[in-house]
This record gives sequence, C-alpha cells and structure tokens, in this order.
Amino acid sequence: MSTILTISDLTKKYRHADGDIYALNKVSFAVDKGDFVTITGSSGSGKTTLLLCLAGLIQSSGGTVQFQDFTITSASDSQLSHFRKSKVGFVMQSFALIPYLTAAENVMLPLAQAPMSGRQKQTAADEILRLVGLENRKNHLPKELSAGQRQRVAIARALINKPELILADEPTGNLDPTLSTDILDLLSTINKTQNLTILMVTHSPMAAAYGNRKIHLKDGEVVA
Amino acid sequence: MNLTKLVWLEFKYHKSQLITGLLAITLGVAVIVGIRSVSVVSEKAVAINLDNLGANILVLPQGANVDNYYTADIDAPTFPEAYVEIVATSALQGVDNMSPKLTRRITVRGQKLALTGILPKNELASKPLWQKSGLFGAGAKASCAPGAATDNGAYKDEKLLRKSIDAIEEDECILGSSAAQRLQLKENDTITLEGGGFKVAKVLTETGTIDDDRIFAHLHTVQRLLGIKEQVSAIEIMGCCNAITDGLLSKLRNLLPDTKITTIGQIVATQVQTNKLMNKVSLVFLVIILFVGGVSIGNFMWANVNERRKEIGMLRMIGFSKGVIYRLLLAKALILGIMGGALGYIIGTGAAMWLGPQFAQLAVQPLPQLLPAALAIAAVVALLGSAIPAYLAGKIDPFINMQEE
Repeated sequence: MSTILTISDLTKKYRHADGDIYALNKVSFAVDKGDFVTITGSSGSGKTTLLLCLAGLIQSSGGTVQFQDFTITSASDSQLSHFRKSKVGFVMQSFALIPYLTAAENVMLPLAQAPMSGRQKQTAADEILRLVGLENRKNHLPKELSAGQRQRVAIARALINKPELILADEPTGNLDPTLSTDILDLLSTINKTQNLTILMVTHSPMAAAYGNRKIHLKDGEVVA
Repeated sequence: MNLTKLVWLEFKYHKSQLITGLLAITLGVAVIVGIRSVSVVSEKAVAINLDNLGANILVLPQGANVDNYYTADIDAPTFPEAYVEIVATSALQGVDNMSPKLTRRITVRGQKLALTGILPKNELASKPLWQKSGLFGAGAKASCAPGAATDNGAYKDEKLLRKSIDAIEEDECILGSSAAQRLQLKENDTITLEGGGFKVAKVLTETGTIDDDRIFAHLHTVQRLLGIKEQVSAIEIMGCCNAITDGLLSKLRNLLPDTKITTIGQIVATQVQTNKLMNKVSLVFLVIILFVGGVSIGNFMWANVNERRKEIGMLRMIGFSKGVIYRLLLAKALILGIMGGALGYIIGTGAAMWLGPQFAQLAVQPLPQLLPAALAIAAVVALLGSAIPAYLAGKIDPFINMQEE
C-alpha cells in the first residue's frame, strides 16, 4: 500500500483574549491509498477542522499536509482550487445540492469547467447515478428526492471527477438509521470496488465501524 | 452543464429576483432613453427658436463698424451685393439665411429716417417679429438643427432657402411703426423717397428695435435711387449657433476676405448658453440615474450573493476558483444589463413618444442610435454595480457547508 496522505504536526490555533485555543495540536498520521479512515471525537474535538485543513479550506497554524507530492499547507488558492477539483470529492452532512439543478445537473457540476462535450458529461453523470442507484431519478430536483437519495446524489457528485480522496463530514448526520446504513454501505462499496481513499468524520460509533482505520481526536490531539 | 447554463438555470430559479433586478436596470435605462429622446427633439426645437431670434452674424465692409450699421452713416462703406451669391453657392454649412441690406439716412417730410433696401423674404426670415404682421404669409423658418423638419415634415434644402428671394414691388415700401407715426402715413398711402414714388404696402407693428424708425424698400430700388448700384452696406446672416461654435465665422472670413465678420454677441451668447444648459441638464440626469442604477444593481447582486452563500461556498469547495465565481456573477450582471438595456430602450422610447406630445408638445421619434448606447450603458452599470458583490462572493468561506449542524 502506498501512502497517499501524510499529516505531520498539523496545528491549528485560534487567538483568544484568554490565550490561544488549539483546535488541532501537532496531529500526525498517514493514510494509505484505499484506506477507509474514520475520524471520531466529541463536539469541539477538532474533527471538522482537521478535514478542512486536509482539503486546504482553512490555513493551518503549523505542520504540513502532503497529498502525494502536493503540499496542501503551502499551496496557493488557485492551486488548492485545482487540487479540490481534480483530486478530492466532498460529501457533506447537509448534502449541499443546488436546489434549481436536477440530480444529473448537480452531479455534473464539478465538470462545469472540464474540457468535455455536454454529451460526455451527461454520459459520465448517468454512469455515476447508476452506480448510486439513482438512474431513474436523474431529472428530479433535490426537493423531489428523499434525504437518502439526496445524499446519494451528493456522493455521485463527489465521484464524478474520479477523485483519489473522498472527504466526508458526517454524511449520515441528517439520515435515519436505515438510510444511514444504506449510505455507509454505498461508501464502503465504493471504497472497496474503486480502491478509493475515504476520510470520514463522524460521531456515530456505528458509522465509525465501517472504517478499516480509526482515529480518535480529543481536544485537538490524536488519542487513538 | 457549463458555466453559462448554470447562470441561466439560476436566472430561471430566481424569477422574482430576476424581475426585480431587471426592473432596476430597465427603469434606469428607460428614463435615460426617454429624457434623451425628448431632449434631442427639444434641442432641435430650441435651436430653431433661438435662430428665430434673428440674425446673429453681420458681414460689414472692411472699414465699417457696427455703429455704422446701426446709425446708417451716410458715408459708410459698401461692398458688392454679389457676396451674397458667393456665400449661397459655397459649400458652407450652418448659414441658414442671409439678408443683404443697403442703408442710408434720408430726410423725408422734414423727418430724419433710415431708408433700408432689403430683399424681402430673406429679411422676413431674419426678422421673426415681422412674421406676425401677416405681410408675407408663412415665411421661411430657420433650419439650424441638422435635419430640422419643416411643418409638413419634409427636410429643408438650405441652398433653396438661401436663394428663395420673393421680390417686393419696386414701388412699394414698408414702414416701421415709429416712422409711420412720424410721417403720419398708413397703409396704401403714397410717399416720395429720394425722388421715387412709393405706396405704403404695410406698417409694421412696434418691435421695440431700431427697425421701428426705418423705411424698407426693395434693395434694388434703393440702390438705384441712392446711386449705389449692386452694393450693400451689410449682410445679416442667420447662422446656426452650433455652426458658429464650430468655426463658421472663420470660414466666412476665408470666403469673404475683404469684409469684416462680426457676431451679434448677445444673441449668440444666449444661443450657446442655452445649448450648454440643456447639455448640462442632460448630463446631470445621466449621472444621477447611472449612480442610482449602479447602486440598485449592486444592492440586488449583494442580496443574491447573500442568499446563495451556501451555494457559492459549495462551488468553491468543489474547485471553483475565486475567478470563476467572479465570472459567474459578472456574467449574470452582463445578461441582466443587456436585457435591461434593450427593454429600457423600448419602454423609454415608447414613453417619450407617448408623453412628448402631451406634456412638451413635441413629436418624438424613435432614435435607433440610442439602442447601442443604452445596451452599453446598462451593461457597464450592471458590471460596475456588481463588481463589489462579486468580489465579496469570491471571499465567501468554502467550508460554510461544513460548519453547520
């Protein structure tokens, strides 16, 4: 297994009148290609902050994050945009779908700037929607879909640009247990069949059980 | 799915916002187009009215001065009447009418009066106050503004206007009101002037000018009686005020080098000042409307950006750079601007055509040349108004979607 992500002494602190607050404190670990890593911890333990730093969405206060040979922590905004567009897929608790786009259009969104024809983009979206079991819902607006279906659309959108890393933030946080299992099964299947690396933040022990590696954060530090 | 489609779909989704934004631009452009459409017509009307104040340029012999012209100095120098033809046949633009005159002070029945030889129809055009006297019927009018329409809507041929000389009978004269009073003459009476017998064809109503003390007769008759054949003491010219500011005087000087060309300053100053005032008023309106329009669009775009914060954050998260976010919002502003500009042109023109005759007694015609300007102004205002909201949209935190519960 090759290492895809290396986090070294990653620190994120916020200044406060009472003293610096460390959201992350010298966090270090490595992720191999194909890993399904779950990051757990109580509220305020730094889970989401860690995910944001890994995506280059917030600037760290210290340490480095290396994705293959790309150093996320020292990249420019445009380099980070390109990195997220080409290497990363996001799945979020709120689904973050655009309400006026159909399922297929939402899925195609990351390809909006890709040098592909409309037909090629449509074909790619159809394939991914088939993969997540929504080929017959491709022309539906988000409001016409159930919560579980919306999250499947979000997962399809995360996969459309053939990323190497999926960052998922509480992907089952808005779903009931049955739907949660469906989504986690889907992520697990994608992880296994496509050898896709997944980092998933969750506070659910049931969801955490899906990972082959577990990282537990407490007060910004890796404790397990 | 591409960026253009994304903009269109967002437009379709936010229809009420689209209408609000469109309304702001449309109304702004409609007001500009409406005002401009009316002001173009009113500028022409004002220009014609200003020209109707009378002649504004005097051509005098080289050694003469304006006093000679007004006092009818008996020894005042003269120059050839043929100069009228030289100007008339030249390609000079902006000379709307000419009135050659020969004036001498004479004594009639013990009264010292000025005898002025005129070519009547030209004189009429140069003296709008006379037009009310009814002597010559519908007289020629000035055609200062380029393409100014006549009463029947046809465009005037300036050359024809210059040459249209309607001869007064050689034995007729016209008396100024004061001259008639002093000579105790009325219409159809007879009088002898410098040995020639004349019938009083008309007594002019009081004008309050030097003309009240004049006796007017046909130029050629006056020339013969005074023994100054084919000579005139002055040519009054009705020059288009715009042409005067564009150098008509120097062109006339080049054409008639041995004459003295001077303006009747007060008239020209009034004409130029009025034109400047109208231009300034139009400009002030334009600036105010552009400012208000820009702020309205900026406000609309800012509301749109705020409503779409999560959406924009998500786009940033999946790899849309700040530049692409700017482009998305500015493309929307551009489309809004072009649509608003086109609609504003149509509504503004329609409103001007409808309201012009009712409120300003002006028949307003569509001005197609305003359409590109309306589109350009609306697009630029929409882009400028949206620049700050677009910039701030680019700074929206991409992780806004990850921060919620």
